[in-house]
Amino acid sequence: MPTAYPLPTNVSPATVANTASLLRIVAFGLISAAAIASRLFAVINFESIIHEFDPWFNYRATRVLAAKGFYEFWNWFDPTAWYPLGRVVGGTIYPGLMATSGVIYNFLHYFNLPVDIRNICVLLAPGFSALTAWATYMFTAELKDPSAGLLAAAFIGIVPGYISRSVAGSYDNEAIAIFLLMFTFYCWIKALKLGSAFFGTLAAVFYFYMVAAWGGYAFITNMIPVHALVLLLMGRFSGRLYVAYSSWFRFVGFQPVRTSEHMGALGVFGLLQIVAFASLVRSHVSSKQFQNLLAISVVTMGVLGAGAFVVMTYKGWIAPWTGRFYSLWDTGYAKKYIPIIASVSEHQPTAWPSFFMDLQMLIFLFPAGVVMCFRDLRDEHVFVIIYAVVASYFAGVMVRLMLTLTPVVCVSAAVAFSTLLDTYIDPTEPEATTTEAPTAAPTTTTTTATATPDSKKIKKAVAAAQAGNSASSIASSTFNDIVSATTRKGKSSKSKGIWGADARLAVLLNAIGMLAFFVFHCTWVTSNAYSSPSVVLASTNSDGSQHIIDDYREAYYWLRQNTPQDAVVMSWWDYGYQIAGMADRPTLVDNNTWNNTHIATVGKAMSSPEEIAYPILRKHDVDYVLIIFGGLLGYSGDDINKFLWMVRIAQGVWPDEIQEPNYFTPTGEYRVDDRASDAMKNSLMYKMSYYRFAELYGNQNAVDRVRNQAIPKVGPTLDYLDEAFTSENWIVRIYQVRKEDPLGRDLKSANAFEQGKKKKRSKPVSKRRVIVN
Amino acid sequence: MLRLWNAIACVLLSAAVPALSASSQSFENSAIVRTVDLGGSLVHVTTTFAVKALEADASVYTITLPEDEIFNTSWLEVKVKGKQQPLTVTYSGAPAGSNSHNLDVSLETPLEVGGTINLVLETVQTHATWPWPQQAGQNDDQSLKYQTSLFVLSPYKTNVQRTKLKSSSPRILSYTTPEKVDDFTLESPVTKSGATVTYGPYNNVPSSTNKAFIEKYQQHIVLHYVYEYPVIEVLDLKRTAEISHWGANLNIQDDIVLHNAGPKLKGHFSRLEHQTQSFYNRGGSHLIPRLTVHLPAGIRNAYYYDLNGNVSTSHLRVAPSVRNQKNTQHSVMELQPRYPIMGGWNYSYTLGWDAPLGDSASYDAKTGKYIVSVPVMTEIPGSVVDRAEIQIILPEGATDVDYVAPFPSLSNELSTHVTYLDTLGRPSITFKYKNLTNKHTKPIYVSYRVPLSVHLRKPMAVATVLLSLFTFAMVARRVDLTIHKTKTVSKKM
Repeated sequence: MPTAYPLPTNVSPATVANTASLLRIVAFGLISAAAIASRLFAVINFESIIHEFDPWFNYRATRVLAAKGFYEFWNWFDPTAWYPLGRVVGGTIYPGLMATSGVIYNFLHYFNLPVDIRNICVLLAPGFSALTAWATYMFTAELKDPSAGLLAAAFIGIVPGYISRSVAGSYDNEAIAIFLLMFTFYCWIKALKLGSAFFGTLAAVFYFYMVAAWGGYAFITNMIPVHALVLLLMGRFSGRLYVAYSSWFRFVGFQPVRTSEHMGALGVFGLLQIVAFASLVRSHVSSKQFQNLLAISVVTMGVLGAGAFVVMTYKGWIAPWTGRFYSLWDTGYAKKYIPIIASVSEHQPTAWPSFFMDLQMLIFLFPAGVVMCFRDLRDEHVFVIIYAVVASYFAGVMVRLMLTLTPVVCVSAAVAFSTLLDTYIDPTEPEATTTEAPTAAPTTTTTTATATPDSKKIKKAVAAAQAGNSASSIASSTFNDIVSATTRKGKSSKSKGIWGADARLAVLLNAIGMLAFFVFHCTWVTSNAYSSPSVVLASTNSDGSQHIIDDYREAYYWLRQNTPQDAVVMSWWDYGYQIAGMADRPTLVDNNTWNNTHIATVGKAMSSPEEIAYPILRKHDVDYVLIIFGGLLGYSGDDINKFLWMVRIAQGVWPDEIQEPNYFTPTGEYRVDDRASDAMKNSLMYKMSYYRFAELYGNQNAVDRVRNQAIPKVGPTLDYLDEAFTSENWIVRIYQVRKEDPLGRDLKSANAFEQGKKKKRSKPVSKRRVIVN
Repeated sequence: MLRLWNAIACVLLSAAVPALSASSQSFENSAIVRTVDLGGSLVHVTTTFAVKALEADASVYTITLPEDEIFNTSWLEVKVKGKQQPLTVTYSGAPAGSNSHNLDVSLETPLEVGGTINLVLETVQTHATWPWPQQAGQNDDQSLKYQTSLFVLSPYKTNVQRTKLKSSSPRILSYTTPEKVDDFTLESPVTKSGATVTYGPYNNVPSSTNKAFIEKYQQHIVLHYVYEYPVIEVLDLKRTAEISHWGANLNIQDDIVLHNAGPKLKGHFSRLEHQTQSFYNRGGSHLIPRLTVHLPAGIRNAYYYDLNGNVSTSHLRVAPSVRNQKNTQHSVMELQPRYPIMGGWNYSYTLGWDAPLGDSASYDAKTGKYIVSVPVMTEIPGSVVDRAEIQIILPEGATDVDYVAPFPSLSNELSTHVTYLDTLGRPSITFKYKNLTNKHTKPIYVSYRVPLSVHLRKPMAVATVLLSLFTFAMVARRVDLTIHKTKTVSKKM
C-alpha cells in the first residue's frame, strides 16, 4: 500500500505504544504548564493578590477555615456583615472552594511546607485549570481518541472563555467548578459506556463536590437526566444506562428533592424505573397486551406526575424557582422585577463579539465538531450534542454562563480539528484512479481510502507499512505514487482521499497557522482583558514604566488602621466584601445580595438629601460612608455611574419617596454639572462625590473626566457628614457621620451657627485691613 | 518596683549588687555641664562632669539620676572624655528620701589627690516629650513639651553647673523661669539665645542628693518648643532573621507597627489641603510622608508589604556588597506608606530582604563554629521602638548554640521553628527588648556548630520522599486489582 511519506518499518508495536504514551505524557505536561503559566499574568504584572469582589469573601472565609478549623467554620456566624443583621456564613455558602484550599493548606503544613494561605488561594485556580485540562482530555478521549483529547486539553488550557474565570487570584467557585463539571461528565460517560456502578458512584461523588462548590451544579443535575431521557426516547434503554443512572441518582439522594431544579432528575429516575420494569414485563407478557398496558400507564403516570408537581409547587412544598433562574428564560425579567440581579454586569445577555473574543476560532469549529458527533452517534456523542445545545442557549442569555459553554466548545472543536488532522496526516494514499483501469471493483478501494479516525494513526500506519508492499517505503511523492499505482494496475477506481504531500501540507500548514493565531489571540486577550485584579489599577508613566494606582487598598488600609474596630462602614454593596476583607470593618451590605430591603435602604440613603439620609445612617449605627469617585482620574466604574441602580433599587422598595425620573434633567439627560436636577444635586451621593472637588482646580474649570462635564465652581456643602479621608487619586472618599449635636439642634442649623460665628470673627480683620490701606 | 528594676536592668550592662559606696568627700565637681538635645521621640542628654579627686585612690565615682529620668532613659554610657572605651557602671541603690538612684562608675585608674578627670555621661531618653497642644490641624505647626529637673544631682559638691537645652528650631514658645536660685547665681537664672535655653551657671551647689536640698531647691523646668520633624514611634517591631546555609542567605524580615506620636490630627484629613501643601512644598511638619532607612549593602529581593499586599510606592538603591572590609556603604530604602501618616495615626508594614550570608557570617576553623551577626534593629531615623522581639533562626540541626548580646534583653528563649523541607525543625533564639533607640543598632552574635551529616539531611529527605513516590507509582502500576479478567481489553489508554 502506498503512503505519502516514508514510515519506519522496523519498529515493534510495543515501542510505538510506549513512545506514544511518553509523548502524550510530555504533551500533557506542557499543556498543564501552559495552562498554569498563562494564568500568571496577573501575578507577574501586579502581585499575588486576590481579585475583584467575591473572591475577597472566599479568601476571608478560607482564612477563617485555615485558622479555626472546619467545625468552627461551619458554625461561623459573621456579625460584621449585613450589620446589624449579621450573616450565618457556614450554612449560606458553597464551602467546596474553601474546604479545598483548607485541605491543601493543612496538607502542605503537615509536610512542613508553610505556604501562605493567600498564595494557595491565588494559585488554586491555575492549579485546577491543569486538572480541568486533564479531565477534558479524558472526556474527549472517550469521545474520539487520545489525540483529540490532547487537543481539547490544549484548547481548554488556554481558551480565554475559561481563563476569564480562573486567572491567578480569581479565587471564586468557578475556579474548581469547571474541573468538577468535566470530571463528573467524564465519570458519567464512562459509567454509561461500561455500565459501571463504580463510575456512576464516582460521578455522584464528584457531583456532590460540585454541589458543595458552585451554584451551577444544577446544570449537572439537569444535564444527566436529560441525557438519560433522550437516550430513552431514542430507544437506547439498556442495562448499562439503568445501572449508571441509578447508581448516580442513588447517591444524589432524595434529600434535595424539594427544590424545583431537582424535579427533572427525580422524574427521569422514576421513568427509568418504569421503563426497566416495563422491559421486565415485556419479556413476560405478549406484545399486544403490553402495548395497551404501556399506553395506559404512561398516560396516567404523566398526568399524575405533572399534577403532583403543580400541586406541590403551589402548596409550597417545593421551593419555587429563584429569580436568577427566571431570568434564564426571560432576559427582560430581571430588569423588570429584580433590578439587583440586572445591575450585575455578568448577568447581562452576551454580546456577539464576546463569543469571538472568548473562543476565537473554536466558535466556528464548534458546530463542525457537533456535526461530527452525529457521524457515529454513540451514547456519549448524544451527550455532547445535548450539552452543546443547552449550553449555547445559556451562554447567549447570561455572560457568566459562557463559562459552561467553553468546555463543550473545546471538546467538539478538538474533535473537529483532530478529525481534520487525522485525515491529512494519515499517510495512507488512496489507490490512484487510473484511466487504464476504470472497471475495477470499487469496494476494495473505499475501505482503504477512508481515513478511519478512531484508532491510533501511528500504530495503524506502522501496521500498514508492515503489511504493505515494500514500495510504500519509497513512495513519498505524487510522482512515485502514480508510478507505483501504475505498476500495480487494475486495482483502483474513483476513490476518495488525499493524494500527495502538497495537498496535505497546504491544509496542515493552514491548520497549524490557525492554531498559532489562536495561541496569540488567547495570550493577548488574557494579558489585556482578564488579568487585572481590579483592586489595583495600572497606568503608564511618561517614561513607559508601570505606575500602580492603589487607591482602594490605601483607603481600606486607612480604615483598618485608624478607625475603631467596630466602626460600621456603609458603602454600595459592590465593595462590601472588599471592606470586610481588607479593612476588616463591619459593613451594611455586601456582595451576597440576600436582603434586597437592606440594599434598598443603602440605596435610599445614598439617593436622598442629607436630612432624610441622616436618620437612616444613625439608625444603622453608620460611622463611615465610603464611596468611589472616578471623576478626577477618569475611572469609569465609580458610584456616580452606578448611582441609577441605587435609585432603581431604592425605588423598588420606596416608590413614593424615590423616583428615577427625578434624577434626570427635564430633557432626560443624566448630568452632574450645573444643569443636574435638584434631586441629583441634593442627593448624598452627589454631595459626597463632588465635595470640595472644584477647589482642587483652583481658578480653572473643574471637569469630571468620566462624564466630561464641568462641575460648578461652588461645590456642595455637607452638614451631617465630615470628610474623613480621601485617597491619593480621589477614587475612594470616606466620610464620617456626625453624632447628634450636643445641644440638641439639628446639625444643619448648628453648622450654620458655627459658620456665622466664623464670619463674625473674620470681620474685624478685614476692617483693619481697610484702615491700614 | 519591678518596673524600676526592668528599667535599670535594661540600661546597665550589669545590674550587680551595690559596690562599695564611696563617701561624698572623695570627689568634687569642678563643673557639670548638661546638654539636652531636644528631639521628638528621642532626647539625647550629654552631661560632662569635670571631676577632681579629694582623696587618694578614689576609684568609684557616683552619678545620681532622678527616678523619672531612670524610667525615661533607655540607653546610658559613661566615658572618659576623649576615649572610646566606656566605663563600667553599676547600680548602687537609692539615697534615702531623695527619690533618685545612684550609679557607680568605676574609673580605670584611681585618681590621686587633686587629680582630675572629665567624665561624659551620655543618655538617650525616650517618651520624654509630649505634644502640646495635644491636637493640631493639618496646617498647624507641631510643638512639644519637655520636662526635666533643674539641678543635676550629685553627692559631691559642685563648683559650677549649667544645663543647656537645645532645640532644633529657634522657635521656643515658653520655658520655666526657676525660683529660689538666688543662692547660686546673681545673674539671670535662665537665658535664651537662638535655639538654646541655658539654665545657670549655678555656683557652689552643695552635695545635692539629700532630702533637704531636693525639697528646697530641686524643681521641674518645662520647655515648650516647635519641633519640625515627625515624632515617630514604633509600637512593635518583630524581627525574624533566618540563616540558611544551603542558600548562603540571611533573610531578615521586620514586622513593624508605626505610630505618629505627634499631636493628634484635629478634625479630619483633607486630601485637598494635603495636595495643596505638597504642591507648594510647605508640608505640615508632623505628618510622616515617607521613611528612609539604611539597609545593608548587597541585599537582594527586598520586599515591602502590609496586610493588604504589596506596597508599590518605594524605592531601593542597593549598594554593592564589599566583603572583608569595613563596609561603610548602605542600601537606601525609601518607604512611602500607603497614606501620609498624620498625627495619631497608625501604619503597619513588613519589610524584608535577603542578604548574602557571607557578609555577616564567618567560620572559625579552630572551634569549628559558625559566627553570625544579626543587628538588633534597623534604625528608622528619630524613632523609638517600644517593644521589640528579635528571633534568630539557625540552620536545622545546629548545636552548641551560644550568643553574645550587645546589651541585656528583657528575656530570651530557645525554641524550635519548623519551615520548608525541615524534618527536625530549626533552633531559634528570641530576644525581647523595649525602648530601643538609634544607639541600639548593634549586632547580636550567635555562634553554633553544624555537623556535615546535618547539612546532608535536607537533600536526603527530599530524595527519600521522591524515591518513595516513584516506588509507589511503580508498584501501583503493576498491581492488578481486577478480580475477573474480562477478555475485552480496552484499547483506550
